[in-house]
Amino acid sequence: MTEEDKELGQRPDLILNGVGSAAGGAYDKVLIDGVGKVEGSLNARLFKANGQIRVKGGLFTEGMEVNGIMSLGGPLRINTMKLDGILHIDGSVIGENCVLNGLMTAKGDCELEEFRGVGGFTIEGLLSAGHVDIRLEGAGQVHEIGVESLKVRQGDQSLWNRLLGGIIPKLKPMLTARVIEGDDLDLEYTNADVVRGNDVIIGEGCSVGLVEYRTGLTVHPGARIGKEVKTGD
Amino acid sequence: MEDDLISKKELLDLTGISYGQLYRWKRKQLIPEEWFIRKSTFTGQETFFPSMLIQARIRNILNMKDDLSLDELASRLSNTEGYSEIRLTKEAIIERNIVTDIAMSAYGPEVQSNEGLYSFEQLLHLYAADTLLARGEMSLDEGRLLLRTLEKHAGALTGKPCELYFVRKMGVALFLLAPSPAELYFDEGVRLVAKVTLGDLVEQLKGRLS
Repeated sequence: MTEEDKELGQRPDLILNGVGSAAGGAYDKVLIDGVGKVEGSLNARLFKANGQIRVKGGLFTEGMEVNGIMSLGGPLRINTMKLDGILHIDGSVIGENCVLNGLMTAKGDCELEEFRGVGGFTIEGLLSAGHVDIRLEGAGQVHEIGVESLKVRQGDQSLWNRLLGGIIPKLKPMLTARVIEGDDLDLEYTNADVVRGNDVIIGEGCSVGLVEYRTGLTVHPGARIGKEVKTGD
Repeated sequence: MEDDLISKKELLDLTGISYGQLYRWKRKQLIPEEWFIRKSTFTGQETFFPSMLIQARIRNILNMKDDLSLDELASRLSNTEGYSEIRLTKEAIIERNIVTDIAMSAYGPEVQSNEGLYSFEQLLHLYAADTLLARGEMSLDEGRLLLRTLEKHAGALTGKPCELYFVRKMGVALFLLAPSPAELYFDEGVRLVAKVTLGDLVEQLKGRLS
């Protein structure tokens, strides 16, 4: 145990098992198993939850691990996050590292250094990240993307996935964005109005209105591009 | 001031930075959120920046980037440390085009400290007066009032975001310093001649000094 841990250890733990609710506040560890409800904002060193969790305020934590369904009424500030399941955020996300396995929706902006995983996401604001590496199993919808590097792949295309994707649009593994800007862009199955970058790869199944590139552009024969422009020098 | 905007694309071409750098700096809060101005154009929505501010800021970042980490930079940019040691002579100020010689000859002798040297704070006050003069909104005499106001009260607001209001009623000039964000309401006869954010001035001044 480091010196810092000891100091923070003076804060109490919040443990909810079964069905329970709490008011919120500052804790060292928050452990929720079952159906948990928190009425206010939470500030914790570690946040671990399994089951169905509802937090009405924001969540500020260093390490976050969620298995199950969680909804958050305010902003999310994290250092690292690991999500298995569904997370709904009524605010913005600011953090370092996010590993996604499931669905995430955020009402505001999403600013992360690293964002990778499998699943789908809806971000109503700007997704700004250092590195994004996503394998889409559901729909990815973002208003605007600004990144250093972005890699989008489609998940396994099994029969069931294709069938369900056809019936429920939310499950169709496509990335949709108005504007995608970044240094290295490697796209597949993406719908976008504008893509701007240094090195751009437009892969299979893409449909892009305008591509602006600085150094290189590779286009898959199965991709549709409205217009391509080389910018700079 | 408001009309002086630069589009994201022009900015990147001009400064030679990449999208990734721009967004990373934004995440590190080296570039304030408020500077990202969204406007609709015929190609859809585009992002614009206040031209002067963003260019000065990017020059600052590029200059300091090699010696400092981004986190250190973020704290450096938000304060005036590192500039507090600056002392410049009148000649150096005019030569480096920091303050015009009109403002310098009008106000310089009043502001200067011993041995004819100017500190960063004094420079900032002169720069504020010079900016308002250059816009043709303030007379030379009113500038003296401004300098006295700044000298007396700006110290109390150091380190806080702060705005300078210049209002006039029936030809009488008034200066107000208020921590921002503040909402001020005036009576009908008052005309708000100019509103300047001191943080912006510090920014521009730093840009000229480096």
